[in-house]
Amino acid sequence: MSKNKKIVMGLGLAAVAFVIMMFSTMPSAGSKEITIADLSKNGSKYEGDYIMTQGLLNKESVKWDADKLELRFELYEEGQGTLQIFHKGIKPDNFSEDVIVLVEGFIQKDGVFEAEKVQTKCPTKYEGEDMENYDTEMHKEIYKNDKPE
Amino acid sequence: MYLIGNISIYLGIVISLYGIIANIVGLKKKSSKWMESARGAVISLAFVASIASFLLLYLLGTSQFQFKYVASYTNESLPMAYKLTAFWAGNAGSLLLWAFLLALYATMVVFSREKKNRMMPYVSSILMVNILFFFSVMALNANPFEMTDKIPADGKGLNPMLQNPGMILHPVTLYMGYVGLAVPFAFGIAALILKRMDSEWIKLTRRWTLLAWLFLTLGNVIGGWWAYLELGWGGYWAWDPVENASFLPWLTVSAFLHSVMIQERKNMLKTWNVSLIILSYILTLFGTFLVRSGVLTSVHAFGDSNLGTYFLVFMAFMMLFSLYIVMTRYGLIKKDSSPIEAYFSKESSFLLNNLILVAAAFAVFWGTMYPLISETFTGTKVNVGAPYFNKVMAPILLVLIVLMGICPLIAWQKAVFEKFMKNMLWPLAMGVATAILLFAFGVKGIYAIIGLSATSFMFGTHLLEFARGISARRKATKENILKAAFKLTVKNQRRYGGYIVHIGIAVIAVGVISSHTYSTEVLKTVDAGGSIKTGDYVLKFNELTEHTKNGNGVVVADIDVTYKGKDIGKIKPEKIFYETWPEPSTEVAIKTNWSQDLYVVLSSWENKDKVTFMVKVNPFVSWIWVGGIIMVIGTAFALIGGRPTTFRYQINKGISRVGGLKK
Repeated sequence: MSKNKKIVMGLGLAAVAFVIMMFSTMPSAGSKEITIADLSKNGSKYEGDYIMTQGLLNKESVKWDADKLELRFELYEEGQGTLQIFHKGIKPDNFSEDVIVLVEGFIQKDGVFEAEKVQTKCPTKYEGEDMENYDTEMHKEIYKNDKPE
Repeated sequence: MYLIGNISIYLGIVISLYGIIANIVGLKKKSSKWMESARGAVISLAFVASIASFLLLYLLGTSQFQFKYVASYTNESLPMAYKLTAFWAGNAGSLLLWAFLLALYATMVVFSREKKNRMMPYVSSILMVNILFFFSVMALNANPFEMTDKIPADGKGLNPMLQNPGMILHPVTLYMGYVGLAVPFAFGIAALILKRMDSEWIKLTRRWTLLAWLFLTLGNVIGGWWAYLELGWGGYWAWDPVENASFLPWLTVSAFLHSVMIQERKNMLKTWNVSLIILSYILTLFGTFLVRSGVLTSVHAFGDSNLGTYFLVFMAFMMLFSLYIVMTRYGLIKKDSSPIEAYFSKESSFLLNNLILVAAAFAVFWGTMYPLISETFTGTKVNVGAPYFNKVMAPILLVLIVLMGICPLIAWQKAVFEKFMKNMLWPLAMGVATAILLFAFGVKGIYAIIGLSATSFMFGTHLLEFARGISARRKATKENILKAAFKLTVKNQRRYGGYIVHIGIAVIAVGVISSHTYSTEVLKTVDAGGSIKTGDYVLKFNELTEHTKNGNGVVVADIDVTYKGKDIGKIKPEKIFYETWPEPSTEVAIKTNWSQDLYVVLSSWENKDKVTFMVKVNPFVSWIWVGGIIMVIGTAFALIGGRPTTFRYQINKGISRVGGLKK
């Protein structure tokens, strides 16, 4: 066997070891992406699974306890179902009506989703919204409501 | 304006088609007139792309809201710098930027010293195929000069996240890296089409590849810096698909930059090198496809999904075309390659380094695409988060760092083990000393200690290389230390430029390992006058105030900071309510010193006197930015200098430039 072949074989073995490492790491590090509709109907099926889901935020449902640093809110999928979320941590930045929220965590027996991570889409928007639907008064109203008293 | 913009896009399509045809006719007829004409097409493309680009800049700068793109990404009160940089805030503009940069690169290539090279018609055709693609996508799907139905009084403004110096630099640098890779790709393919199995294409493209790599490095580092400053989560890298997309070609080009040295010197790894550059180029298209298609769930919002399809089709076309070329020339490449002479040599260590870099790229690719793969085979989308990437990449990067410490000490051709071990002594001692010191100072975390010691070992090797070079030169020339160091590095710019890049990586590694392992975070709601203690810092919250700046409402928290009991001034995190944006934006406040960052986010408030903060202490984060700068300096150093090796001259000697195309 030539030196080249032996070297290639050695490197091939290293590659196999690497692939084994990669696959063995995979299951422990993944979250299953399940829809809100599926979770609201068959939540118990996914108990114990680390899940990622995304939906629209119902602003009315947001309950934030500043002293305990606990956040509760509801995500929905138009006409498909709703999901109650509990999160021990802070409120993300753009937590406004109908913003898309990504959550990762576990579904509990009582159907409440305990989120370890809450993220809103998106830090870097590449596309602007449709200009025709833009309300110039919107910002003033938001600022009026949100500014500290 | 509308006409000029649109005509330039359609002219872009017509001219690139003409240029490709002119090259084909020129090659068939062996006519230098046709080729001259194709060169003219390339410069015309640069001209029309410039007209379109400057027009768009003018429209953005003068707030011409009758144009959809201008209205979607700017408004009257936006500072001029951001009005102009909105050029690449959306799909249409960034495609135009891409076409513009490609046309500039193509012009520089076809008018370079090598303009009469036999490869050039093929190279310019391949580049023009790329330009044609971008102009076509603009014409069909994302026209930056589209008009609005009704002219709005003011534009929508730029996403606050994009109103940061990072926005000015990050996209452009990344695009310059992406676009730059088309050049070595085009040369590699041209060499294969011509069945030229020598390394001339590598010689001709060394600087182009280095330049592209430099911009990719800059783009990634600035991206991390931007995320750290602007996104308010205290991190700089989240293994998001969009980030991974720009990391993938960086890894494969890093491999390529190492393995081409073997081809230059030893005439080996020919198939590997050409495959690597093809892969890197395809990965740039793949990255763009990922960003534009929205096929993966990401916290970055993606644009229009049709655009993804265009990129997918183009990527598939280029991939099949390249595969066909490589397969039909495979026998020839193999025949002409030299075998490796010894197991223990720089050549084989470079092979190993290449394998690891490509394995790293594969691990990132696999993790990024796994949701789609799992959905295809199991019906459930399994997202692979940061834990997977951290677990897989940590050992890979550790091995890479160790290899960076070992490789410079291994000789070419056939290394002698005893000599190698003797060389290793000092760097190894440095690594061990680091471990002992870290333990002695009570630093916890075995993996971090291993990582930091390996980094110190790698740094030691490079110090030793510099020291040995300088000492050898001083023995021969009797120069003083500074002069010897200067002359040594200037006379061997490629080698020492590379070493400087490695040192930059060592500095980054210290930042990444430390901030990843030893970062602390406190979330707390405090009343006015209350304080938050974290590490050696005590933060006393005084009050929440508000004021208006550029028409935007700004809420500011006033905090006094002490470090180890000593007053170090104020820190003022903000939230800005932009006039044209529905969500308020967090402005992180950071106090930096050489060893750590105090990172404060104003999270939310109940009223003026009750506020929630996130306070992080991130050790050594600034080392990441400094390391990035060192890497760029090292690359620039290697780029400016670097004469071709003697061997390369030998193998290229006698390569004829045929017929009427002679120089």
